[in-house]
Amino acid sequence: MISIEELKYLAEISKINLTEDEIDKFPSQLNKTIEYIDILENLDSDESIALDLYEINFDELRNDIVKKSDGQPIIKNLTEEGFLRGPKMK
Amino acid sequence: MAYEVVEGIKDQQFTAEQYVDSIIKRIEDVDSKIRSFITVDTEGALSSAKIIDRKIKEKEEIGSLAGVTIGIKDNISTKGIRTTCASKILEGYVPSYDATVITKLKQNGAIILGKLNLDEFGMGSTTEYSSFHSTHNPWNLDYVPGGSSGGSSAAVAAGECTVSLGSDTGGSIRCPASFCSVVGLKPTYGKVSRYGLISYANSLEQIGPICKSVKDAAIIMNIISGKDMMDNTSMNSTPIGIHSKLGKLNIAIIKELINGSDHAVTRTVYSASEKFRDIGYSCDEVSIKNVDYALPSYYTLASAEACSNLARYDNLRYGYDFPIEEYKWDAYFNNVRKNFGQEVKRRILIGSYVLSSGYYGKYYLKAKMLRSLLKSELLKLFKKYDLLIGPTMPILPFKIGEKIEDPFKMYLVDINTVLANLAGIPAISIPVGFSNGLPIGLQIMAAPFQEQKLIDASLALEDTIDIQRGPNTI
Amino acid sequence: MNLVMIGLEIHAQITALKSKLFCSCYCNYRDLRPNTNICEICSGLPGTLPLINKKAIEYATMTSVALGCKVPDKIMFYRKNYFYPDLPKNFQITQYNVYGLSSIGADGLFELDDSKKIRITRVQLEEDPGRIVYSDEGMNVRNSALVDYNRAGAALIEIVTEPDFNDPKEVRLFLNKLTLTLEHIGVCDTLLEGSVRCDVNVSMKGGNKVEIKNINSFKEVEKAINYEVTRQTNMYNRNLKIENETRHWDDRKKITFKARSKEEEHDYRYFPEPDIPVIVLGNNFVSNLRGYMPELPNERFTRYLSKYKLTEHTSNILINDKKLADFFESCVKIYFSPVEIANVLITDLKSFIDNNSESTDYLNNMKVTPEHIAELVKLIEGNKISRITAKDILIKIAESGVSPAEILNSTNSFKIDDEKTLKDTIDKIFDSEPSAVNDARNNPEAINFLLGKVMKFTKGRADPKIAADLIEGKLRKSEK
Repeated sequence: MISIEELKYLAEISKINLTEDEIDKFPSQLNKTIEYIDILENLDSDESIALDLYEINFDELRNDIVKKSDGQPIIKNLTEEGFLRGPKMK
Repeated sequence: MAYEVVEGIKDQQFTAEQYVDSIIKRIEDVDSKIRSFITVDTEGALSSAKIIDRKIKEKEEIGSLAGVTIGIKDNISTKGIRTTCASKILEGYVPSYDATVITKLKQNGAIILGKLNLDEFGMGSTTEYSSFHSTHNPWNLDYVPGGSSGGSSAAVAAGECTVSLGSDTGGSIRCPASFCSVVGLKPTYGKVSRYGLISYANSLEQIGPICKSVKDAAIIMNIISGKDMMDNTSMNSTPIGIHSKLGKLNIAIIKELINGSDHAVTRTVYSASEKFRDIGYSCDEVSIKNVDYALPSYYTLASAEACSNLARYDNLRYGYDFPIEEYKWDAYFNNVRKNFGQEVKRRILIGSYVLSSGYYGKYYLKAKMLRSLLKSELLKLFKKYDLLIGPTMPILPFKIGEKIEDPFKMYLVDINTVLANLAGIPAISIPVGFSNGLPIGLQIMAAPFQEQKLIDASLALEDTIDIQRGPNTI
Repeated sequence: MNLVMIGLEIHAQITALKSKLFCSCYCNYRDLRPNTNICEICSGLPGTLPLINKKAIEYATMTSVALGCKVPDKIMFYRKNYFYPDLPKNFQITQYNVYGLSSIGADGLFELDDSKKIRITRVQLEEDPGRIVYSDEGMNVRNSALVDYNRAGAALIEIVTEPDFNDPKEVRLFLNKLTLTLEHIGVCDTLLEGSVRCDVNVSMKGGNKVEIKNINSFKEVEKAINYEVTRQTNMYNRNLKIENETRHWDDRKKITFKARSKEEEHDYRYFPEPDIPVIVLGNNFVSNLRGYMPELPNERFTRYLSKYKLTEHTSNILINDKKLADFFESCVKIYFSPVEIANVLITDLKSFIDNNSESTDYLNNMKVTPEHIAELVKLIEGNKISRITAKDILIKIAESGVSPAEILNSTNSFKIDDEKTLKDTIDKIFDSEPSAVNDARNNPEAINFLLGKVMKFTKGRADPKIAADLIEGKLRKSEK
């Protein structure tokens, strides 16, 4: 079950600020979901089951060829020299 | 219907421009009440229509979808058209590229009409979690249209576009299709390229058509399907034939899905299965062993993938207006991301929880195991039966605001639809009736890449059940 | 004293690739205008998917094989989730073996020297993040970070060793051998700026591990280890507890300091990358690759001894400079005289190179070609020129690119081996050096003086053996 401390920890590693209202409401809401998914414990572990459903052969992968992108993917916040301006580090 | 539009334009019964004009007028008439759209690209649509008309005049080739107006769920990237995922976080985002499905549609002459409302980032079942506005069910404006592709379904039902595209992670095409009395198809995992689909849960989701008729769904599917070199999870498959070719099929009703449903729903679905018997299909009942673990597995896997997929939204490279001056980088990230909606935040937190140190074996690994078990159980059933059916939704559409205070209750409505996403199999929802004016949908599932069987059975049913295609008044 | 245990974590860029690991952008980001070498995929735009580079897997497999690792039949990728402004998706696609072997190599062994082997824990493929540059000018001092994503998505090979090193000298030897191996298999040009980085972990007597990051060059690695060993020894002697921690190397102050940010203490929430299916390499993948993979340094060394009959000393010099070794073999292909060719390259050419090389590409920029060397060696062996002349000619070729034949013709440098010409010369010398001639009659050693004069007079062209014989003959004659 999630305490307020754990909620704050999860919010920090997910990098999300919570409002006061959310800090208030979320523990009980999340706990309902967690209780619900706890049922998975009753599923017996079976080592023989292949967990990964999809495979691809080495030959189908992308060849090492250069293609110049035609769009400009980043246009926001660029300095004159072309750097992206971000918030300070320290 | 899409095919009627194309024929009409080719036969010069009306021009593409006239058709688009009529659609835009329809949007102006009803969308203030239904609110399907986030962005309408009137200018773009009319200019595309004019090009088609010119090509017809000059006897040039026009595509097989020429003139068809398509609404696109707003989590599919459209070059030059704002794509928001119904989130404040992407309020200002304009993609520099088209999703593969968009490229394919455009290549075939389709007209991209605009972007349709959804639950934020695809997380929800009613479109109430959109951070812009809710969408209303055209059949009864007080009711939800379903979700997360609520805008896509409502727009088609209300005649605001010829067809639309939605995306389906745990039922997000089929649920609103069922609630709005339209056809919605979730393809086999990998049949349609996900390049350009803004990820919520990559191992579960697919883009699919939402249309008024089964034939339209098949036509759109054939255009958007295909292995794409930009998506390593996509695979090649055979096109779907529009005319019924497979003869009598063997069907089974999944007991657990129908037993948990409302009475009105159960009654309607049983009556639909009778219709199948009438046309010569055999109809059995089967049980699925691991059904109770399906929804918990779905939420585990989807949340885990979501918390990682949504990590990139830090507003540095794209996003919305939020000046960088005030904060150090980590405080900046935290504050920018404060503007996710509550449901999105909840799922991100659950995702971080199940993936956090020590919990991997408890939740994530078990969920993956369930997927494998479920898939092999279903494949075994598909050796005996061509199709598995049941109600798309266990309940009738409900009023806007009714379930929003209890997010957990909201999760439970997905119970019938998540099976197909977990197993990666194709599933369709077709309208089969009403109760008190509220639509009911039948869900049909098939083995991987057996969309032909879905279409066959749906066409056959469509022929025998006369369902009203759209509400008379809105 | 086996008190110190050191382990390494090395990141080497696969500079041999043309494109990045997950997209088709150009892989060499150096000297490009910021944010011009990016596409929708590597800048993390919504809706984009990673497309793994086939060739990167080949190079990573070669590296695994070179390090003695097992290569699995199937490999997988995982997401390492953490936030940082240089990480476009705020997760890194990498490999991870905790839930089962998924990386391109594991459980390897690398020979350090005759007595010691280092265990290689794993070899894995992963993507590089972008770069953060701090703005130092005027108003923007520390007010914003400047980010350049040109490097984001470049392919990295991570090599992790067990803490089997007990001495920084061993680490240095390993790093030298490793970079040589990487050069030989062609995976990484280690002279390119930023292409190889090394983090270390140091523990005393099997106590808590201290990781040291931010070491900017291999030269600094030894210094960082020495500092840390001293620091830990001091703490140990004062009965202070050494914590499991991450420290950074400050290369100005030459100290390690505890990393202030909490970025190192993440819960990375690893899980399999859903956009990349399990990649099936197949049973024959490794054996096929071995077939066309470049030779490893020790294999090449053995071949030089057996096939070319070179000495160990000569072979070592060649092997330690791959470009020179390649050049050597091109020469031998044209004219099979490996010992003489090696001789010319190592003795004569190499000193020229050592004095003049500035760039890593000296052999390409230098004007000496394998054809020139072959021609030169033929002339030496055919006694047409002396070895001294050969050296001079070589330098001239290196400066001008003109062929040996042309140089010989223009400078009249052919060997003088006809007796008449030599006799004339010897007569001149005898006439001008009477006292030396007298000495030589009595002391055979003094003949060398006369021979030296002949060589000087002929500018090294005289055939020394013939000249010596003629000198002796003349002395004997004049005695009578």
